[in-house]
Amino acid sequence: MNVREPLYLEDKLEEIERSGKLSYRSQKLPTWCPGCGYFSIEEGVSKAMTRLALDQTNTVCVSGIGCASRFPFFMNTYGFHSLHGRALPVATGIKVANDDLTVIVVGGDGDAFAIGGAHIPHAARRNVDITYILFDNGIYGLTKGQTSPTSIVGFKTTTTPYCNIDQPLNPLMMLLSYGASWVAQAYAGEPHHLTRMIEAAIAHRGFSYLHVLSPCVTFDKTSNTYQNLNMKVRPLPDDHDASDFSAAMTEAQNNARPQIGVYFTSQRPTLGDGLNDVAKRAATIA
Amino acid sequence: MRSKKRFETMAKREHYVVIGNGVAGTEAALQLRQRDQNSHITMLTAGKLLSINRYEFPKVFSPCGSDWRDFLLHPPEYYDEHEISIQRNIWVTHVNAAEKLLMLRHRESLSYTKLLIASGGGRYIPESLNQFRDLMEKFGTYEEAKTVSEALSKGGHVVMLGGDMIGLDLARSLIKYGFRVTVIGQEYLFWPHHVEPAEKQRFTTILQDMGISVRSYASVESIEQGKSGRKARHIVLNDGKTIDADIILSFCGLMPSLAFMAGAGVDIERGVLVDPHLKSTDKNIWAAGDVCQIWSPEENQYRFYYGWENVKEMGRVAAFNMTGGNESISTFQDEKLIVTDTGEIDSPFWQFS
Amino acid sequence: MVKIGKHKTDIQIAICGSAGDGTIAAGDILKQAMAKAGYNVIAFDIYPPEIRGFGKCVARARITSEQVYSLKSESDALVSLNDSHAIAHVQEVGRYGAVIYEDTPISDIAEGAHISSHLAPAHLPYGVAFREISERVTGSARSRNIVAVGYLAGLYDMPVEAFHHVITQKFATKSQALADSVLDGFNAGYHIGANTFHLHFDRIGTSRGKGKQSDLVMMSGNAAVARGCMDAEIDAFFGYPITPATTIMETLAHEMPKRGARMLQTEDEISAIAATIGAGYAGARAATATSGPGLALMSEMMGLGVMAEVPIVAFISQRGGPSTGLPTKTEQSDLNLAVFGVAGDGQRIILAPTNVEGCYKCAGKAFEMAEKYQTPVVVLLDLYLSNRYEAVELPKKNPFAKNCSKPITQKTNQSSYKRFKLTNDGISPRAIPGDEACMHTVTGLEHDEQGRPSDHPVMHQTMSEKRHKKLLGAVNHRGITISKRFGDKRKVDVGILGWGSTFGEILEAMIEARKEGIRCSAMKVVMLSPLPLKPINAFFDDCGEVLVPELNYEAQFASLIVGATGRQVHRLNRVTGSPMRVREILAEIRRLADKAQMIAAQ
Repeated sequence: MNVREPLYLEDKLEEIERSGKLSYRSQKLPTWCPGCGYFSIEEGVSKAMTRLALDQTNTVCVSGIGCASRFPFFMNTYGFHSLHGRALPVATGIKVANDDLTVIVVGGDGDAFAIGGAHIPHAARRNVDITYILFDNGIYGLTKGQTSPTSIVGFKTTTTPYCNIDQPLNPLMMLLSYGASWVAQAYAGEPHHLTRMIEAAIAHRGFSYLHVLSPCVTFDKTSNTYQNLNMKVRPLPDDHDASDFSAAMTEAQNNARPQIGVYFTSQRPTLGDGLNDVAKRAATIA
Repeated sequence: MRSKKRFETMAKREHYVVIGNGVAGTEAALQLRQRDQNSHITMLTAGKLLSINRYEFPKVFSPCGSDWRDFLLHPPEYYDEHEISIQRNIWVTHVNAAEKLLMLRHRESLSYTKLLIASGGGRYIPESLNQFRDLMEKFGTYEEAKTVSEALSKGGHVVMLGGDMIGLDLARSLIKYGFRVTVIGQEYLFWPHHVEPAEKQRFTTILQDMGISVRSYASVESIEQGKSGRKARHIVLNDGKTIDADIILSFCGLMPSLAFMAGAGVDIERGVLVDPHLKSTDKNIWAAGDVCQIWSPEENQYRFYYGWENVKEMGRVAAFNMTGGNESISTFQDEKLIVTDTGEIDSPFWQFS
Repeated sequence: MVKIGKHKTDIQIAICGSAGDGTIAAGDILKQAMAKAGYNVIAFDIYPPEIRGFGKCVARARITSEQVYSLKSESDALVSLNDSHAIAHVQEVGRYGAVIYEDTPISDIAEGAHISSHLAPAHLPYGVAFREISERVTGSARSRNIVAVGYLAGLYDMPVEAFHHVITQKFATKSQALADSVLDGFNAGYHIGANTFHLHFDRIGTSRGKGKQSDLVMMSGNAAVARGCMDAEIDAFFGYPITPATTIMETLAHEMPKRGARMLQTEDEISAIAATIGAGYAGARAATATSGPGLALMSEMMGLGVMAEVPIVAFISQRGGPSTGLPTKTEQSDLNLAVFGVAGDGQRIILAPTNVEGCYKCAGKAFEMAEKYQTPVVVLLDLYLSNRYEAVELPKKNPFAKNCSKPITQKTNQSSYKRFKLTNDGISPRAIPGDEACMHTVTGLEHDEQGRPSDHPVMHQTMSEKRHKKLLGAVNHRGITISKRFGDKRKVDVGILGWGSTFGEILEAMIEARKEGIRCSAMKVVMLSPLPLKPINAFFDDCGEVLVPELNYEAQFASLIVGATGRQVHRLNRVTGSPMRVREILAEIRRLADKAQMIAAQ
């Protein structure tokens, strides 16, 4: 029989403090349900920030409304908890005002693809230099369990008691076609991979989109559970070429068996670059 | 059903078009309205102003000052009250009597059911003076009269060629306002009065007593633009004498204004020929005023009648007959030039109300 | 040649044509030149709702030597560049006013299609061969409008040098040949106009600047807004095209990058204000501009701005509503939306300038106020004010203060900074991203002093009070007219209370009424929220009867005033899509003066 080592709280705290990631955490404890996949995302962001040694003073976390959008309150950075679906335009404004800020936008699947769907293409095509981390649990958690744009057909929720009849969206294909310059997928049940992905997303210059599959342990007992996702999620093929847009689209098609990793990455001028260019042109005319 | 009925009433409505807004045209328009409440009435005039009293033009020289509003026959409201559409700055270029259409200079066409030609007369310039046309000022419209008055400095010298009754009317006003006037010529002196040669001298003396210098036996040899520092006009007479003038005006009678009637298919001699009902040779066209020659059965010829009273009566009779009446013109023409008790010249042509 | 009379000048010219006739361009030359020559000019152009084609354009300009406040309901002259449109406007020409038109149409026209048959008997016809002259002098009929402007200038004895100056400047960027040709066209028209017998009685008399070239510039309300933004050193602007606010964005798109400031056309009005709030949060002077329908979309964000205490400026140019309404017609019916249109108790500062100069002032001051009071500031314009031109003299010294934020006085360590600290005046020291050790999260949720979500009942009561209390100081903000009384300053029979563009007509009506011996006074209210209640109540105390004329059906401003003061008012409301008529206001003033007299007699 395997006897576990006794765990001393002081030792654990010391270990966490040594890791440095606590300095990115606010004193407020997350309000998510025990077991929620969002804890590992938040942990991953803190770790990635530590590794990148981000300056908190010049970092802003922006969110909309939803379980995921509570995120900024838990971070020791500047934060803007804005309106349902509107995190991206708010973040765009922040970035237009100050290029030097690192802007991390978080949101859930409802916030992003239902009410906020109109803003994603424009943030992506403009290549606003922000990181967009999408917490996808396939359900509305904050309002206690309604169907979302990524819920699977047949899913029973409080608003679809007989089953969901709507086809779920494929966010990866959408973001690829919108022109996002960095697109990847991660899974809350694979925290190390998730942390690496977050680090790469923040490091990318331009609009980076990280889709994180994350179970809602309270309102989804049948669909995207840890058990189900553990069985389905697999890494992208080793030979996937992230500079190949067609390959990325091909791999993104398979939504039933999600693959994690970087689908696509490319470099092109950001919105800030473009605006600076406009200013230069204007200055030469004036 | 309702719209059809409306169409029928509309179809029956006459559209009287009156060309000219002088005394004859203005009187005719009023008569037309009074006799046909349901009709459209359109007055056309080349001028920019509403009907104006030309008989008052000498007053432009009044030192009290005046503007065109003082000369209006009727205020603007009159036309609205009587539903008379008075269209100004309109030049008729051609009359298509067959299709009852007027062609206007600005390329619009205007249809009528009955047409009255009351375009009046413009100044007549004899052949001998035609070459000096540009050196003679015009006095036919308010604008022309006002321009002359503004060009003439105080006590200035006006030379009148001809000396018809319109001119003499102006001359006596000019004298009154302190200007100098010289009348040259004999043929048109006192036109349209027929003055017996024996009487002519008597009348001329009266003119001279009034202060008008009359050169009745002289004629113009040449007119030149005055040189700098001199009077504006320099006239050489046939007797070799010269006269310097500020303004030269020609008053040699009237010439009917009817160039636009050419090709209309209506009989014209010097004016539009009309019967005593003032109807022309076209069944929808009448004429009145200084533009028409009326058949005189007594004299067995077409002849002109001048003067406010005559012209106004022509307007009335024409309108009466255009609206279904059947009346012959009886003129007030009194050919006589009168000498009043106080020894002044008077003429029925100077009368207006 | 040109004799400038000694009498006062007050001439209103309307130029009407179809899109493509150069109607607006002709009006532009006229108003620029007359402003250049030192005259006061108020101008308002009407464009067709159609994008292209043959829609009607009307350019109107009132040229005066004295200060006036609105256009007249009657014009002294109408220039027709297209009779099919202009015929309907003949009736706006007053007694013995001039109608100037094309006398050489290019082709045959139908009976009744020429404007000459539509003149009233009291009008003066001036038919001119614009097309023929243009073709003869410039080689094409395209300069008809310029010939017409020249004719007009000649006919009214306008100072020709100012026109030459404006035309030369206007075509300076084009080819010299074109500039010369346009000048030739103008001169040909001028010559004919000057030599035409003047039957009209209106003449150009003295100018405001006594003939000297002035610093007056013609500026539209929207251009003044843009200028105000630039002088307030705006950093970021986000907008979505919508009539009649678009020209603000277009002007800023041109001007801002020259100074390194940033302008972005967003995907909709929601993202426009969201980005504005983002930029405001990040410390930028940020603004957006829209119309009523856009403001409706922005309402939720406006509430966020109030709750998160983010300084932003929103310019709202009203048009006819509700819904898409009348996009090219003026109205003042978005007051309720601007003042009340948020979820919850979301008071913010609302400014409504009454003239073009006010547009400039309010625009710049709005940034100061937004920063100082940490709130969205809405500047409420309307189509009539946005598009109307006035000759304005801008201050030589920039009148706008730069950084108006309440500074963080004591350096705090990271846990003690309170973004929403409760203070006496309700204004908290504001940190922005990049400020060291002041990290915080702002939210649309009710929150405590640190910004952490809180639904504690005392906290909500306290924070609600803070957000309202902090605005009270705004009614005493320096350098801007919050309210102003005109006319008789003593007890009067009739008081006219007004806001926005209609106040011009109100002033004109009041001046007329005073000439008639009516004891009256007018007051404009520029700050609609919070209301400057002290001067408003004082005004009510002095006035027997109070009239509130406005361009909406529901008497929105009147209701606002009645609600805030508990006083009685008389409402005068019109929704015709056009500015209120001076004579309609005057008729009401007369009626109320009689009433006040009767009550006094009893």
